[in-house]
Amino acid sequence: MTNHWIDLKNSDVILIMGANPAENHPISFRWVMAAKDRGATVIHVDPRFTRTSTQADIYASLRSGTDIAFLGGLIKFILDNDLYQKEYVVEYTNASYLVHSDYTFDAGIFSGFQSDKATYDKSTWWYQMGEDGIQLMDRTLQDANCVFQLMRQHYARYDLETVSNITGTPVADLRRVYEAVASTGRPDRVATIMYAMGWTQHTHGAQNIRAATIIQSLLGNMGMAGGGINALRGESNVQGSTDHGLLFHLLPGYLAAPRAKFQALADYIDANTPKCSDPLSANWWQNFGKYAVSLLKWLYGDHATADNEFGYGWLPKLADGGNYSWLTYWPTMRSGKIKGFIAWGQNPAVSSTHANGVRQALEHLEWMVTVNLWDTETSSFWQRPGVDPATIQTEVFMLPCAASVEKEGSITNSGRWAQWRYTAAEAPGEAMSDGWIINQIMRRLRQLYAAAPGPNADPILNLAWEYGEGEIDTHQVARQINGWATSDVKDKDGNVIVAGGKQVKNFTQLQADGSTACACWIYSGSYNEEGNMMARRDPVDTHPQGLGLCSNWAWAWPLNRRIIYNRASVTMRGEPIDPARALIRWNAAEKKWEGDVPDGGWPPGERLPFIMRRGGRARLMGPSMADGPFPEHYEPWESPVFNPLHPQETNPALWDLEKDAKGATHAFPLVGTTYRVSEHWQTGAMTRNLPWLAEMQPEMFVEISPQLAAERGIANGEQVLVESARGAIEAVALVTPRFQPFDIGGQIVHEVGMPYHWGYTGLVKGGSANELTPPVGDANTMIPETKAFLCNVRKLPGGNGRKEV
Amino acid sequence: MSNAMLIDLTRCIGCRGCQAACKQWHDLPAESTRNLGSYQNPPKTSGKTWTLISFDEITVDGQLDWVFAKRQCMHCQHPACASACTVGALHKTADGPVAYDAAKCIGCRYCQYACPYDIPAYEWDQTLGLIGKCDFCVDRQAAGLEPACVKACPTEALVFGKRSDLLAEARRRLARTPHNYVQHIYGEHEAGGASMLYLSSVPFASLGFPTLAAEPATAYTELIMRQTPGIALGVAAGASAVYWIIRRRQMMQEQAAAPATVTTAESAEEVQS
Repeated sequence: MTNHWIDLKNSDVILIMGANPAENHPISFRWVMAAKDRGATVIHVDPRFTRTSTQADIYASLRSGTDIAFLGGLIKFILDNDLYQKEYVVEYTNASYLVHSDYTFDAGIFSGFQSDKATYDKSTWWYQMGEDGIQLMDRTLQDANCVFQLMRQHYARYDLETVSNITGTPVADLRRVYEAVASTGRPDRVATIMYAMGWTQHTHGAQNIRAATIIQSLLGNMGMAGGGINALRGESNVQGSTDHGLLFHLLPGYLAAPRAKFQALADYIDANTPKCSDPLSANWWQNFGKYAVSLLKWLYGDHATADNEFGYGWLPKLADGGNYSWLTYWPTMRSGKIKGFIAWGQNPAVSSTHANGVRQALEHLEWMVTVNLWDTETSSFWQRPGVDPATIQTEVFMLPCAASVEKEGSITNSGRWAQWRYTAAEAPGEAMSDGWIINQIMRRLRQLYAAAPGPNADPILNLAWEYGEGEIDTHQVARQINGWATSDVKDKDGNVIVAGGKQVKNFTQLQADGSTACACWIYSGSYNEEGNMMARRDPVDTHPQGLGLCSNWAWAWPLNRRIIYNRASVTMRGEPIDPARALIRWNAAEKKWEGDVPDGGWPPGERLPFIMRRGGRARLMGPSMADGPFPEHYEPWESPVFNPLHPQETNPALWDLEKDAKGATHAFPLVGTTYRVSEHWQTGAMTRNLPWLAEMQPEMFVEISPQLAAERGIANGEQVLVESARGAIEAVALVTPRFQPFDIGGQIVHEVGMPYHWGYTGLVKGGSANELTPPVGDANTMIPETKAFLCNVRKLPGGNGRKEV
Repeated sequence: MSNAMLIDLTRCIGCRGCQAACKQWHDLPAESTRNLGSYQNPPKTSGKTWTLISFDEITVDGQLDWVFAKRQCMHCQHPACASACTVGALHKTADGPVAYDAAKCIGCRYCQYACPYDIPAYEWDQTLGLIGKCDFCVDRQAAGLEPACVKACPTEALVFGKRSDLLAEARRRLARTPHNYVQHIYGEHEAGGASMLYLSSVPFASLGFPTLAAEPATAYTELIMRQTPGIALGVAAGASAVYWIIRRRQMMQEQAAAPATVTTAESAEEVQS
C-alpha cells in the first residue's frame, strides 16, 4: 500500500478492482464503511457479484483479464474531458518529457521487439536528454513526442464501445464508473484504489497496476490522504517477507540481487545506482551503495572488510539473464536438476498454478522437507489419490512448526506497519519456531563445512551467525535489521555521529565504508536507541484533522511515514493541495514540516515528490517495463475471443515455459477464474483442519450462471466435472445469478469461478482449482495467470452419486 | 432497561466472523455439512449452531442484491418459549437474555413449538436431549462484556446496547439515509417486541422473517399450556423413539451409498460412537 488501512476512511471514491476485500480482507471494510458513512462512493468492478459488491454503490462486471481495456477507457475519458489536475500532472509526472523520436506502437507491438527472444530492446522508450543530463521537456504538453501526447494517442482507441466489446461491461456501467472516479480530478476530492491478486495474476498483471498509476497520477491522487494505490496483501506478513528479500531477484530492502556479470562490488553498486543531474530530484537510490555495503557487513561481520569488498564475492550471483522464479522450479525439478526441496510454510501442491505438474515434479526429488502446522497435500504428495507410493522414492521429512501467535516478533501489514507481537500461547507438542528450526539447520551446516570445507565453504563459515544454540532472540534480529555502527561513524568534520556499537537512528546514518551494518535498510529506525518502535501501542491519532495516521502506534517503513510520496500532497510552494486533508504542511515560521513524516525534509520546492524515481516524477510512461511503456490490452494466454484492437492477441513478452499445456477454445469454451472465500485460508491447511470453518464451506464448488446451467442441464447443488487442458476436478455446481454471461462484441462468453482452497488432506477434502490453471506468467513478474484461463463444465458422466438438491 | 442488539443488515458483509465467534465462545461442536448450492451452512440454527448468517439472492427493481442476515434467538420481551416451559428452564432476565437452565429442562420441546421464530432446537442425537439456542452471551454480559458476535463484527453491523438507545439509533439511521432501508425496525413490535432489532434494505418477509402481530405470542401459549402438561413426557419419549429409528435408517443408507462425505472431526466421532 502507498497508504494504509485506516486511510481508506479519508476517500471520496473507492475503486475496488481485482480484489474482493469484504471476503478476503474483511477488517478493511471497517474503514470502507467509515468512508461510506462520510458519503463516499464505493465501486466494485469484478466478473462476479461478490460480498464486496453488496456494499458497492456501483457494481460493474467485466470479463476476467480485460482490466487494461477497462482502465484504458478511463484514461481516455479523463483526457477527453479535461478531468486531470494540470499543475500536478505538469509538475509531478513525466507528462512533459520528450520521448525518443523512434518510439512507435504499431499492430499491438511497441518499438524494439525482438521476436526471436520474445523481449523488447527498450532504448526507444527512453527520454530525449539535454546536454545537461536532464530530459527535454515541453511543459505546455503540446509537443507531439511528449509523454502526454503519446499517451493520449495510445488510448485514443479505447472508446466506450470498443472497451465494452472487450470487457463485456455495459456502456452505461462504464460511464458511471468513469464519471465517479474522474470526479476526483480536482483538489478537494480524492479516490483510492484497492487491488489484489485479481490484478496481479495475469500475463499483463504488472501493467494493470501501471494503468492504475497513470489514472491516480492524472487525477492527482498519489501522495494524498484517502488516495494512492493500495495492494491488499494476501497473507498477513507477505509485505514483511517481500521487504526482507523473499523474491529471487531481490536482497532485503529491495536491493537488486547481484548478477554474474558484476563480479566486483563497485560494478554491482554502479549498475544499480541511478544517476540524475537534475537538482530537483532527490534520486534516493543514489544511496544504494550505503545500503548494499551495510547489508554485507551484517551478513559477514568482521569477515567483511574493505580489502575483500566486504565479502561481496561470497554472495551468490544470478546467472546473467537467469530466471529463478516460481514457474521455473517445476520443469527444472521434473528434469532431475533439483534434487532437494524445502517447502517452508507453503503448500505448492495446492497453491501453485498447474498443481498436477507440481505434484509430478515432487516425485523426482531425492528428498523434501516440509515445515508446517499440518500434514498438507505437499507433504503427502506421495500418497495422493491415484498414485502408488511404492513407485515414489522421495524421502519426506516433516518438521512441525509454531503458528504465528506461538512466537514473538514483528509482522508487517499491507500498510507497511511493522507491529510487534508477543507469544500468545506455547506451541504444542514438538512444534518449534521457525527461528529455532533455521538455527539448527545452520549450526549443523556450519559444523559439516568446518569438518570438510568444500569449494563453497567460505560463504557459510564466514557468515556472522551468532544466535546461540536454541531459540533465536527476535529482539537481537530486529536490532540487526535496524542497523548499528560497527565502529564510530563520523561526519565530514570528523565529529562522531554514532558511536561504535550503538544502534543507528535510521538509514540516513548508514555508510558505504563498512562502519555500519544493517540487515534491511528500509526498516532502519524501527529498533534504534530509543527502543523497539514496532512495539508502540498508543492508539491516539495526533493529526489535527483526524486523518487516522496513528503515528505512535507500531512503526511504518520507511521512517514511520504513513503515506508515501506525501510531498505530492502539497504544491511546489508547500501549500496543501486539499487543505481539508492536509497530510503534511510546511511551518514557515519554524521552518519544518508538520503532520506525517515527509518524503525528505527539504523545504517546499527544493525537491520533487517521487523521490524513489530517478527523475523525481511519477511515470505516466514507464520505460523500464518489460512489455511496453504504456499498458495495452492483450487477451489472456487462453481466451475464447479475438483481440479486436490488433492482431497481437496476447502479451508478446509473456512467460510460457510449457507451451503444450495450452488449451483450445473448442474443447474449453468457458473463461475460468479462481479466488478465495472468507471461510478458508489459502490452500486450506489452516482452515480445512478447523471444524468451525470446515462446516461453513465444506465442499469444493464452482459458481456458474443460471444461463450456463440451463445450457448444460446442470442443477444447483449438483456435482459436476470442471476440466481444462491441465486437469479435471469434481465440484458442486453453485448456480447463481451473481455470475452473468458477457456480450463480447455479439459473442456470448460464459465465465465460471472457483475457490482454490481444497485438496486431498484435511478434515474436508475436494478438488484443487489449481489443477486447472495454466503455467504461464506475467512478462515482468512471472506471476502465474490463474485469474483467466479456459475450461469447461459438464455433468458428471454416468451420474454423480449424490442426490440433486 | 434491558440490553439489546441492533443488527443492521445493510452493513453486513457476510464474513461470518460472528458465526465462528459464537461457536468459539460457547465451545459448540461443528456440524457435518454439505454444500447445498449456497454459501449458507449449516443450513439452519440448531442446538450446535446458535447463530448463523443466511445468504439470500434477491432482485429488487431489477437489481440483484445478496443479503446477509444474522439468525439467532430473538430474545423476545415476552418470550413464548418461557411461558410454554413447564418447569421454568427458560426465563427472560432483567438484562435482556432469554436464559436457559439445562438442569431444569426435561426435554419436552414445548418451547420449540411455541417459538414464532422456530429457534429452540432439540438436540435429537443426544441420549438425554436438551434445548440449544443463543443465550445472548448472558455470561459475558454478566462480566460486563459485549456478546462474542458483536465483538467479532468488523463493520458495526452488530451493535450492543440498551434497547431504548438502539431503537433511537435505528430511527436515526432510517431518517438519515432513508433510501438505504425499508422503514421498519423488525423486532420493535413483533410478537410484543424483542431484544434483537433489525434494519434491512429489503422487506423482511423476502428474507423469510415471519410476519407477526404486535401481540405477544405468550397469550396463546399460556392457553395451550394449561391443557397439556400431563402428556408432555409421553410426547417427548415417543418423539425420541421416532428420531432414533429415522436416524438409524439414515445412517445405514449413508453407509451403503458411501458418498464423498464431508465430515468434521466432532461429527465423525459422533457417527462412530
